[in-house]
Amino acid sequence: MSLPLISSSFVSARHNVWRGDELGSADAQVMTTGHAALDAELPGGGWPVGALTEILQGAPDAHVWQLLLPVLARAAGTRKGPVVLIGAPHEPFGPALAAGGLPPESLMWIGGGLPDRVGRSGSTSQSHMWACEQALRCADVAAVMAWLPQARVGELRRLQLAAAQHEGLLFVFRSESVALSASPARLRIRLVSAEGGQMDVHLLKRRGPPLAQPLTLPARSDRITALLAASQMRRKRRRQQAGEAVDSADARIATVVRLDLRKSQPDKREEAHAVDRLAVAA
Amino acid sequence: MQWIALRWLPEAEPSPEAVAVAVAGETLGWWALQYTPRVAWLDEALVMEVSACERLWGGRHGLMRRMNIENPVPGHRLQQARGDTGLVALARLRMFAAGRQPPADVPAALPLGTLSAARAHLDVLARMGCRTWGHVAALPRGGLSRRFGAGLREALDMAWGLHPERHTWLVMPEVFEQKLELPALAENASELMWSANRLLAALQIWLRARQRGVLAIELEWTLDLRRYNGVDLPPTQAITVRTAEPTQDMAHLRRLMGERLALTKLAAPASWLRLRSIETSPWAGASTSFLPDDSRKGDKLHELVERLSARLGPQQVRVPVPHADHRPECMQSWRPALRVKGEAVSAFASSASQPDAVFPAWLLRDPPRLEMRDGRPWYFGRLHLLTGPQRQEGGWWIDDAMHKAGGQPAMRDYFIAESPEAGLVWVFRENLDWFLQGIYA
Repeated sequence: MSLPLISSSFVSARHNVWRGDELGSADAQVMTTGHAALDAELPGGGWPVGALTEILQGAPDAHVWQLLLPVLARAAGTRKGPVVLIGAPHEPFGPALAAGGLPPESLMWIGGGLPDRVGRSGSTSQSHMWACEQALRCADVAAVMAWLPQARVGELRRLQLAAAQHEGLLFVFRSESVALSASPARLRIRLVSAEGGQMDVHLLKRRGPPLAQPLTLPARSDRITALLAASQMRRKRRRQQAGEAVDSADARIATVVRLDLRKSQPDKREEAHAVDRLAVAA
Repeated sequence: MQWIALRWLPEAEPSPEAVAVAVAGETLGWWALQYTPRVAWLDEALVMEVSACERLWGGRHGLMRRMNIENPVPGHRLQQARGDTGLVALARLRMFAAGRQPPADVPAALPLGTLSAARAHLDVLARMGCRTWGHVAALPRGGLSRRFGAGLREALDMAWGLHPERHTWLVMPEVFEQKLELPALAENASELMWSANRLLAALQIWLRARQRGVLAIELEWTLDLRRYNGVDLPPTQAITVRTAEPTQDMAHLRRLMGERLALTKLAAPASWLRLRSIETSPWAGASTSFLPDDSRKGDKLHELVERLSARLGPQQVRVPVPHADHRPECMQSWRPALRVKGEAVSAFASSASQPDAVFPAWLLRDPPRLEMRDGRPWYFGRLHLLTGPQRQEGGWWIDDAMHKAGGQPAMRDYFIAESPEAGLVWVFRENLDWFLQGIYA
């Protein structure tokens, strides 16, 4: 008599069972990353909302905006709240971010390099942690980006709980060296610079099977890529006019950027030059 | 006419809180003003005339029950008695407090001891055989007035309702200001906070009664010493707490005040505390909706900004201001996010922004000089210049000490360069020196 009861509950429960070899479904709200390749590999198809996302990289300032600008622009647009930067390594430059869709008015920069006011609240790292928690408690904040190189696991756990209450985006940037230690973050990502203006995105932790191959995303905006390509073109043309013989072997050594010219100049892909030579002459 | 007399009695154990009643008498009056506009102090009790307003509060019993629930003094019992006139209500309250059953025939059978005006003459009246209000009222008017003064006869007339009652009605002051003597000399700021909490509770009652929200308050303490360590001291010290939006939320003010006090050093032990409202504005109240509440729960933004600024300092919490300028470090400046009221935000702010993806996302406001190796700039490896030069000439027209380029014609040639380790960077050359201005993230 109890058998059909069990089987029916089992069938209904199967929807809620997540199998380890498939990508976790969107049990919580997500926000699309703006990079299609990354969306396809993230559970639910985007950055998790109301959860801690940990981003590990060697230099604290690299690749941050290229990866996050699309989602920050969307979050600031829909929630009409500020994007709070805590302990940013440098000053964020408004005109560049505005070009990515993030209005500079929605930035709020906390604790940027200036000496702390008093030693009362402990070290800078502690006051950043405190500020981060306070920002998560505010209903109007759209996203929090925090550089917390010295955060401990217990503190990250607190942030994770605060983020779950907040329904906003939380990105914590830490050093690459903690990649092997445990973390309460739902999503962990390691960014590594790759050749030719690309970056490799390693998904260290996600709700789903581990990703063997890192994803490759462009590390530069389209505008910069086009500008670099154009300046290289111009340089080449000038050099040809001057009748200067180009030593192709030398050029290959000196070339540092593999430019992806498929969009702008499909037929001149192989042209690459010693670009620093003209600059010194300039 | 219906009157209610109120009195607060400490619970069995007279705690330090008992002082609060004496101090907060003014506050209790403000609290009672929320029920009826006619409130007055009569000897030791608060009397309220409620005939016009009791229907609003769901009848007399509903009103009395409500007052019991909303009792503003913790640790004290609220005693209530009602009567047809203020004096009768007070007499019944006194009998109730003494634990005696009030007589059925009111006011004639009330004992004389409960009438304030008769207290000076109790012995004489008792020897004349007068024990209740009715006995005295039956005496001839002329003789009574000549023997005991006009006050007693007038009080009796008031009790019977033959003569209008005279009271000095309580009114709300325009500005909140209360003083409080500290129970002990306060040596540090956290001890002040304990007492300031009581003043804040009084402030909340005042704000609610006046339907106002606070924008700025001042907490002032009187220093107990004139000289300390050979230094002449001012008589008082004060801090001002400001908030951007009018608030009645004491938790927020308490947190701000706590942060401010923690940063303040008391010059000498303090003995008195005074709280004053500097600026208030009409309180709109919270609007509620029949629809499901879709607002996110959490603090408001201005509360966050004020809290962060209070602890970290206003210079640590900043928002950008774009400027129409061609020099990169002048394109934006940062101002404290803490907004002082009345400070106008520049109307040109949004139009001054010049979005351009060619700029780096990170700006180095004070560009560090780059190391030179073999005649080439070096930043985590040899720099390869990719684009440029782009010539920018400094603002010789601005005599501004803040900007490095100000006042002298600076000429900078900007390049986008690539470092093998750090990726794309934005560098410039000036007088054969190389500087790092930005980092492409």
